[in-house]
Amino acid sequence: MILTLEHIAMSFGRKEVLTDISFQLKAGSITGIVGENGSGKSVLMEIIVGARKAKNGTIYKNCSVGYCPQAAVLFPQLTIQEHFTYFSEAYGINKDLAKPQYQALLNHFNYKKYLNEKIIHLSGGTQQKLNLSIALLHKPELLILDEPYNGFDWDTYQRFWDYTNELREQGCAILIVTHLLSEKKRFDRIYELENGKLI
Amino acid sequence: MTTKKIRTGFLMIFKMLLRQKIVITLLLIIPAFFLTVVELTTSNRILPFQLASLGDEFFINISEKGISFIFFAVASSGFLVSFLALNLIQRNNKVNRRLIICGYHPIELIISILLVLFVVILLIAVYVGLLTNAFYNVDNLGRFILSLILIGFVYGSYGLAVGSLIKVELEGILMIVLLVNIDVGWLQNPLFYAEAQNQVLIKYLPAYFPSQTAIITAFTDYSAVSATVNSILYGFLFLIISMLIFFYKMRTK
Repeated sequence: MILTLEHIAMSFGRKEVLTDISFQLKAGSITGIVGENGSGKSVLMEIIVGARKAKNGTIYKNCSVGYCPQAAVLFPQLTIQEHFTYFSEAYGINKDLAKPQYQALLNHFNYKKYLNEKIIHLSGGTQQKLNLSIALLHKPELLILDEPYNGFDWDTYQRFWDYTNELREQGCAILIVTHLLSEKKRFDRIYELENGKLI
Repeated sequence: MTTKKIRTGFLMIFKMLLRQKIVITLLLIIPAFFLTVVELTTSNRILPFQLASLGDEFFINISEKGISFIFFAVASSGFLVSFLALNLIQRNNKVNRRLIICGYHPIELIISILLVLFVVILLIAVYVGLLTNAFYNVDNLGRFILSLILIGFVYGSYGLAVGSLIKVELEGILMIVLLVNIDVGWLQNPLFYAEAQNQVLIKYLPAYFPSQTAIITAFTDYSAVSATVNSILYGFLFLIISMLIFFYKMRTK
């Protein structure tokens, strides 16, 4: 298994957000998590990637992780190119290896022409493309995507699923927070988060 | 920890800072504005001042204009560096967190920020020092610039501590404006300090030693070693606090 969660619990003050979450992700799978607003989906993603500490429970993961947060978390004053440079450094990827990878992402999601534009000048959709691309830059074995297609047009949405399916075939485990239950057939498994528990 | 990551972090943070054109413009305008106001409003009457950090017997006679130039140079340097330090550590808090999740160590990131802050302190000290000297002939310009570096270090570290502790930008700015205004802008003013009822309290505030260093170096040849060492200690205290808070908040769980 790529990822195992056992009895994860989380609360904010007296409010219990997650009570007893346990599940596993295997390589080459796409898993969805759905739930109402405020049900704790994003909190669960943050716990998995290490941005938050769970109150209880254990997480086992021994692989590279790519994380795409719900809102585009980017530097407004830097260009797309500079983001790739900065995050490649964070992942510890050599410049020569990073370039073909981000060129491929720029081409696949069709935003190469904005390479030298500052984020502050980009549309929400283009910012989201970069937000997602950063998570994919180091070809992770586990991909955690929190509503990754927010602001995407139809063409980009289709390209997103093409890319995700390719990654699944290469053995990547993908966990996606989504609201689009109409896309059920794209997932190997869907969990619903309700009252702090997975159903 | 790798020097390559620190280098990349430094370059990116410095680029982001330089691209904030309004901030850069204000950096140039604020000291010039302060010093022009001093030039237009103060008189040349001579006033006796006690150099508090050297002992009770050390008095100097300086013009009101001269002491006001030095005082406002210290105040504007402290305020600007503190504000920029807050901006450096607080503004991109969420993206910095993402960088850490992706593989940066919090120490690598804070060192990158500190290096940028160090360059900012140097640039502001040299600019304000030369500008002050253009208005009023400072006795020892090199040592005076060093004293501006000290106030930058103390208040820059304070700005980092506030920025690490407080999430909201407006609250952080308020904390900085309050302390800079009360400490550097009011209590350390020699005109107020000379008649203050409780000078002991004023001596424990962050701007005391850098202000003393500035006045000693601007008007005399006396040694400012004691005030300089105390300034550095004060700056390091804030710096350690800010680094501990930053590390605690930014580490992956």
